[in-house]
Amino acid sequence: MAFNYDQYLRIEKMPTLWCWGCGDGVILKSTIRAIHKMGWDMNDVCIISGIGCSGRFSSYIDCNTIHTTHGRTIAYATGVKLSNPKINVIVVAGDGDSLAIGGNHTIHGCRRNINLNFILINNFIYGLTNSQTSPTTPQGMWTVTQKHGNIDPTFNACNLAIGAGASFVARESMIDPKKLEKILVKGFEHKGFSFMDIMSNCHINLGRKNKMLSAMENLSWIDSITMPVKKYNELPEEEKLNYFPTGVLRQVEQEEYTEMYAKIIASHRDNGPKITQDDFAKKI
Amino acid sequence: MGTFKTENPGNAPVWVNTDNCKACDLCVSVCPSGVLGMKYEKTSTLGAMISIDHPEACIGCHECELSCPDFAIYVAESKDLKAIGMSFAKLTDDSKERQAKVIANNYMSLDNK
Repeated sequence: MAFNYDQYLRIEKMPTLWCWGCGDGVILKSTIRAIHKMGWDMNDVCIISGIGCSGRFSSYIDCNTIHTTHGRTIAYATGVKLSNPKINVIVVAGDGDSLAIGGNHTIHGCRRNINLNFILINNFIYGLTNSQTSPTTPQGMWTVTQKHGNIDPTFNACNLAIGAGASFVARESMIDPKKLEKILVKGFEHKGFSFMDIMSNCHINLGRKNKMLSAMENLSWIDSITMPVKKYNELPEEEKLNYFPTGVLRQVEQEEYTEMYAKIIASHRDNGPKITQDDFAKKI
Repeated sequence: MGTFKTENPGNAPVWVNTDNCKACDLCVSVCPSGVLGMKYEKTSTLGAMISIDHPEACIGCHECELSCPDFAIYVAESKDLKAIGMSFAKLTDDSKERQAKVIANNYMSLDNK
C-alpha cells in the first residue's frame, strides 16, 4: 500500500490533461501530501484556481473548488475567506495569471495579510496559449511573441510579495518534491498571507524554443538558476543577479485580516469591545 | 482501489499504473539505483512505456513516486514490506553504474537490446 492519493482526487478525471513531465502534476501531488500532513478535512479545504494550465488544478482535487476568471483568484479567495474564516483556502495561479493580469489583486492580497495560501506556479511562459512572453520569462529567451529574444527584464515575484507586505514568502522549485512538500506545510501552517513561488517546467512551450526539449533539460536549467537562500546570502552582490534564492525568504507574525474584520463586526453589533481611534497603533 | 492501483499488486517494492503513464522519463532520471527504464510501446503516445527492470535493487527513496506528475508509479512503505518479511536493498556500486548506463542510453531500458 502506497500513499493513498485516491481519497484526495477526482479519479474519474484522470489521467491529467497536462503534458508529459509537466511540473504542475508534481506540485499537485506535493500539495496533496502537504494537506495530508496538515490533517485537514477535505470539506474544510477550498482550492481556487484561475486560467491557464494551472487552472486545471482545481478540477483534480476532490474538495470545495472554484475555477475562476483570469487573474481574479485572490479576489474570489478573499470573499471565501471573509465569509467563512474557518475554511483553509489554497489559491493556485500561474505566472501570467497572478503577475500580469492579476498583479493588482496579488499585491493587495499580500498587503492585507489575509490568511490565504497562495501557490504561484511559475513556469516562465504562457504555456496554455503556446508560449507568449510572460512577466517572468527570462531576458534573452525566445518566445512566439518575441522571436529574436525577450528584451523585457525578468520579474522577481518574491521581491514583489515582500515589498507588498506578505508575512510568509518562500520560493522552491519542483526538482526536489520532498523540499517542496516541507515548504508547502510551512506555508499552510503560517497564519497570514503565505506567498509560495514554485518554479515549474514547461519543456513543451518554453523548451522547444530554447533548446530544452525534455523535462530533464528544463529542470537542470531551473537548477542552474536557483540556489538555497543561505548560500545565496554569502555571494558577492554582482553574482546575486544570476540566481534566485530558494527556501523561506520572509516569515513574520502580523495581524491577520479576518480576525481584525471580526472585531469590527462585533463592535458594530454591540457584542464586542468598542473600538476607538486609540486602538489602532499607527504603523507606517 | 479505483483506477489508481495504490494497493500493492503483490509483494512488490515498486509498481506502476501503465494507464496513467505518459512516458516523460522523469522517474527514470531521478532513480539512484537503476531500477527503472523505458521500453518501446507502439500504443503509447510517445512510443515508450515505463518498465521495472530491477525491483530487487530498489532502495525505497520514493523519489520516482514523488517526481511522477501523473500518479503512475508507487513505492511501498518500508513498514508494509517488513510485515511480509521483505526489505529495501542498499545502494551498491553496481546499481549506480547501471543507472549511469540507463541515462546514457537516453533513459531506455538496457534489456531492450
